[in-house]
Amino acid sequence: MGLPDASGDLSSEMELDAFRRLFPLRYFERHLSESIRPDARPLGRARDTTLALGAVASAHGSALAKIGSTVSLSLSLSLSLSLSCAHANTMLAAIKMEVMTPSTESPDEGSIGSIDFHMPPICSPIVRPGRPAEAAPVISKQLSDTISRQVKSFLCYPFLLNSGMINLKELSLVSGKAAWMVYLDIYCLDADGALFDAALLSAVAALSHYTGRLILIHFAYTIEIYWAGFAFCLDVVFGSPVVGQFQIIRFKNSLWRYIPDNFHHVQIPIVSLNDDGKIELISEEDDGAKLEVEPVNKEKRKLTLSSIPFSLTCILHKNYILADPTAEEESIMETAVTVVLDSSSRLVSFYKPGGPVLAHTSAVQDCVALTRQRVKELQDILDETLSGMEID
Amino acid sequence: MASKGGAAPSTYTPTPTKKTRRSPFFSDSDVDWLRPDGRGFHQCRPAFFRTGAVNSAAGSAYAEFGNTKVIVSVFGPRESKKAMVYSDVGRLNCNVSYTTFANPARGLGSDNKEFSSMLHKALEGAIMLETFPKTTVDVFALVLESGGSDLPVVISCASLALADAGIMMYDLVAGVSVSCLGRNLIIDPILEEESFQDGSLMITCMPSRYEVTQLTITGEWSTAKLNEAMQLCLDACSKLDKIMRACLEEAASASQD
Repeated sequence: MGLPDASGDLSSEMELDAFRRLFPLRYFERHLSESIRPDARPLGRARDTTLALGAVASAHGSALAKIGSTVSLSLSLSLSLSLSCAHANTMLAAIKMEVMTPSTESPDEGSIGSIDFHMPPICSPIVRPGRPAEAAPVISKQLSDTISRQVKSFLCYPFLLNSGMINLKELSLVSGKAAWMVYLDIYCLDADGALFDAALLSAVAALSHYTGRLILIHFAYTIEIYWAGFAFCLDVVFGSPVVGQFQIIRFKNSLWRYIPDNFHHVQIPIVSLNDDGKIELISEEDDGAKLEVEPVNKEKRKLTLSSIPFSLTCILHKNYILADPTAEEESIMETAVTVVLDSSSRLVSFYKPGGPVLAHTSAVQDCVALTRQRVKELQDILDETLSGMEID
Repeated sequence: MASKGGAAPSTYTPTPTKKTRRSPFFSDSDVDWLRPDGRGFHQCRPAFFRTGAVNSAAGSAYAEFGNTKVIVSVFGPRESKKAMVYSDVGRLNCNVSYTTFANPARGLGSDNKEFSSMLHKALEGAIMLETFPKTTVDVFALVLESGGSDLPVVISCASLALADAGIMMYDLVAGVSVSCLGRNLIIDPILEEESFQDGSLMITCMPSRYEVTQLTITGEWSTAKLNEAMQLCLDACSKLDKIMRACLEEAASASQD
C-alpha cells in the first residue's frame, strides 16, 4: 500500500479491473467515500440470505444456509444449490445423534459431543487436501462457545451467560443408562467472507424447531453495561435479571411476535432398550401397530431451544463500518468485529480479534445496532423457512 | 464444550431392532428382488446436475441421484504445489472425501484414498493434459450424502465440473454401475442393494467417442451376465451423457442472457 499517490494519477487511464487488482485499497476507498460497496450494497446492508431445511436425509436434522444468493432456482430436488452471481457463502450443517452412557454427576442429561466446522478443499482455492484451513478450528471454537450451554455459570457470573440453547435434560433416554449425544457438523461448501455468521445460521437452523407460542418481547430497554472499563450496548428484555451496574438509557417500543404452529425439524428416532442394555431403533412401520418393545422416548422427540443466537460480522476501516464483508473485503481490510445476539437481543458473544483499527465505543455500539437489525431479519428468514416446511 | 474435558464417553448409533436380512429373499438364486425405491431393474434414478455450485472455484458441479449428493470443485490450471520435475504435460490431482454425516453411522469424514485414485484414473484419459503444461488441475469432490453408486456419480459430476472450468477434454465422462443380485442385474444400485450384491461392474466412458476410460468388475459373474451388464451400462452412459450435455447447454444459455 505504499503507492496511494501513484494510483491516484493512474486511475483515470487504467482499466477498472486492473485498477481493482493493483490498488485494491484505493479502489475500495473510492467506493466507501460514496457510501456504496463494489457489489452495490450500502455499507450497513448484509447480503441476501436463504435457508433450506432437510437437505441431508442421513442426518437427524440439517440445514443449508446461503448468504449472498441472487437467483434462486426451483426447489425441484431436496437440496437446491442455486446458481448465483459473484458473492455467495454456502454452509451445510447436519446433526447426528448417538447413544452414550451419561456421567454419574448428571445421569439425566445428554451432551453435546462436538461442534465441528469443516472447510473441505472444495470450498476455496486456499484449502488443500490433507492440510486443514487455519480458520476452521477458530470458527469451531467460537461456534461451540456460542451454542454449548454454560447454564451453571449463570448464577455466579450473569455476564458470562452463554446462550443456553439446548436443554440437555431433553436428551436423556434412560436415567443413568443411556442418553443422546448430539454431534453438529458444519461444512463450508463455498467460502466468501463472514464464515462464522453463515456457519452459525446454518447450525441454529439445523437445530431449530417450530412451536406454537406467543412471545411478547416486552418493554425492551436499551442499556449499557460498564464492565472492565468498556461499554457494551445491548437490549435486555424486561423481567430478565438486571443487576445494579446497569444504567437505563432509553425506552423502546414493545413488540409482539406470534409464531403460530407446531413443527419440529429435528427428528429424534423412537428407540427402545433391549435385554443387553443397548438402545435399538424402532422402525417406523412398526409404529403404532403392535409394539413388542416399549419405546423409551415416546414424548421426548424434540429439542426445545430456549434462545437462538444470530450473528453479524462487520469490518472496521477508518470511520467506515461494513456489514457482512465478502472475502475480498476481508482480505483488504483486516479488522473484523463479530457480535452475537440472541433472539431477544441479549449479547451472547463479542469478538474483536485484534486488527490494525482500534474500535471506539461508538463503533462498537454501531456494530451492535447493526447486528440487532440483522437478528430481526434472520429471525424472520428462519420463521419463514420453518413455516414453509410445515405446509409441505 | 461439555465433553471436551476428561475422557469422552464412547457412543454408538442405534441399529434397527429388525435387521433386514438377505436370507428370506435369497434362499435360492432365482427369487425376484423388489427394489426398495420402486424402480425397475434396468431403470436409473432420476439424475440432477447443476454447474456453478461453488463460486470460488474455477468450475464446479453438483449432482444428485436419489440420496447420493455430491459436489465437485475444479481449481486451476494453477502452479503445481509439489515441486516436482519439469513436465510438458499438465498434472491432474484428484481427491474424494466424505462428510461425517454422509453415511447412516457417523464417520470421521476422512479422505477416500481408493476413490481418489479411481477418479484420477477415470478422468486422465479424457483430459487433454498437454493443453496446460507445467501446471496442475485440482479436482476435489465432497460426498454430502452417500446413497449408493457414489463413485460413478462422483466421476460424472467431476467431468461436468471440468467442462464448467473450461478444461479441454476429448469428451465428457459418464459413469454407471450395475449390481448383480442372484439372477438379476440391477442398474444404479442404492446403498442397501450394494450391501447385498454378489458382484458389481462399473463402466466410465466417453459416450460420443464410444471409448471406455475405466472398467471395474468385482465379485461373481458369468460371461453372459457380464456382456449383458456392459451393454446396460453403456446404454445408460449415453443417456446420462445427454442429461449432462443438457445441463451444460442450459448453463451456457443462462450466462448469455
